[in-house]
Amino acid sequence: MQGRRLIYLAMIVAVAVPMLLGWSLQPQRLVTAERMYDVVEGVQVEPGEVAVVWFDFGPGTMAENEPQAQVLLEHLFRRRIPVVLLSQYQQAEAALQSIPRDVATRLEREMPGQRWSYGEAWVNGGFRPGGSIFIQALVNAPDVSKFLGREVGGMPIAQYPAFAKIGGVERVKLVGHITGLTGVFDTIIQFFQKADYRPTLVHGCTSITIPEAYIFLDSGQLKGLLEGIAGAAWYSEVLKQHFPQSNNTKLLVVNTALSSAHLVLIGLIVLGNLIALKDWLRRRHG
Amino acid sequence: MGSSGTWQLYSVLVGGLGTLAIFSFLIKENPLYRFFEHLFIGIAAGLGPMLVIRDFLWPTILAPMFGDNVTAFPDGTLSEPYQPLYLLYIVPMLFGCLYYFIYSRRNAWLAKIVIGFTLGASGALAIRGFFGEVLPQIFGSFKPLVVLSEAGGFEIVESLNNIIFVATLLLVLNYFFFTFGREGSVQGKAAPLGRPLLMVCFGAFFGSTVMARLALLVERVQFISDDWLSAVRVLFGLG
Repeated sequence: MQGRRLIYLAMIVAVAVPMLLGWSLQPQRLVTAERMYDVVEGVQVEPGEVAVVWFDFGPGTMAENEPQAQVLLEHLFRRRIPVVLLSQYQQAEAALQSIPRDVATRLEREMPGQRWSYGEAWVNGGFRPGGSIFIQALVNAPDVSKFLGREVGGMPIAQYPAFAKIGGVERVKLVGHITGLTGVFDTIIQFFQKADYRPTLVHGCTSITIPEAYIFLDSGQLKGLLEGIAGAAWYSEVLKQHFPQSNNTKLLVVNTALSSAHLVLIGLIVLGNLIALKDWLRRRHG
Repeated sequence: MGSSGTWQLYSVLVGGLGTLAIFSFLIKENPLYRFFEHLFIGIAAGLGPMLVIRDFLWPTILAPMFGDNVTAFPDGTLSEPYQPLYLLYIVPMLFGCLYYFIYSRRNAWLAKIVIGFTLGASGALAIRGFFGEVLPQIFGSFKPLVVLSEAGGFEIVESLNNIIFVATLLLVLNYFFFTFGREGSVQGKAAPLGRPLLMVCFGAFFGSTVMARLALLVERVQFISDDWLSAVRVLFGLG
């Protein structure tokens, strides 16, 4: 019992020390995140065309999904691609409100004189229940903005000029999906398509769902992937390479804290195995 | 500090207390942990229906039906005309309400109509979803074992990757092939090879699960060290 508490304490110290001291190390290069960057960078939108980004996460997976949502939105905002935010998950409400606002504020601070305002850079379509039925209806709707109707504040989405003339789903040039829930991701993969339309789909997943996400990446159903915090950290680093003013030090500190915890964990596993080996040798030799 | 600032301050303070109370379970089970555990379950259970009503049922279904989305301006004009066709929503709503006859012994057959309809629709959607998800994966598994570059050179890493992929796919599929007796056959001899490959997969799942849990810890420690401690300092007039 006492030993278990010591392990908990070691893990908390391993995480807390880098964060309290503000240590940040260069994140590991992740090819999947670079691919996702290239995909987002390659998206070309005409007036009226948009990206749809789903935030299907709540407090339970916020730790990994929030940084992913931040870097994806930052990139889309920098490229001035209008974003429709949606969610199939009720508890995403806070994230839908705060993340785009925080990213816009950060960019406006970085580039005084430029604006990223609600209704122009993004619109919050809010929580949409119905899962597969809703997505099928959305994909088959003749006009996405009319189908979505009103945003969370009660205003018709079509009243915002940037989102007034979306038209059919073919005008959705990029679909981003950030989640830790495998069920809702499957729904997007299965139903956000029709005979003559396959979206350019990028995905941010939690560490737990990385092995499953790789299946979709390998088959080409996914064009880019952010793997947990590490994926977001490398994406942030790539953003910085292209936009040197970009500064998300907090994310790098978090990634360093996570790596520190991994090191302690590996150390504990090695230590446990050495102790077990020593016991086994002692019993064997009497 | 404005009322929204005060509200924000107290929500951070309560959030931090909740986090510490849940973490206190690591020392031992205690009443504070129990209290916050039940609080979280209650909030999660209540939040779901409330959000469905607030964000979907009312603005999308009920408000247009009652004309509540139409604003009348002082000059007598309307923001948009009332659409009586929205009243047709009543038909599927009443049909869905038949489900509640499941509580009636005499009229339970009415609920079965709704259940049958739901099962049929779900089945059709599942088939559609299966083809939408799995077919591209099947096609994606048809990989060349010898990969050549555009210049005609042999791509050793890509080729090796594809060979490992195809071998793993075949061996794991073979492991789960139980249709006819396989003792003594090549297929039977190859079957045990699928097991260690599955173990590698489970190891990857386990490792990534641990990583995700640690990420949660990192986020909570960050919240406590940045937001909560700042809020505590403000509360005691130190910040």
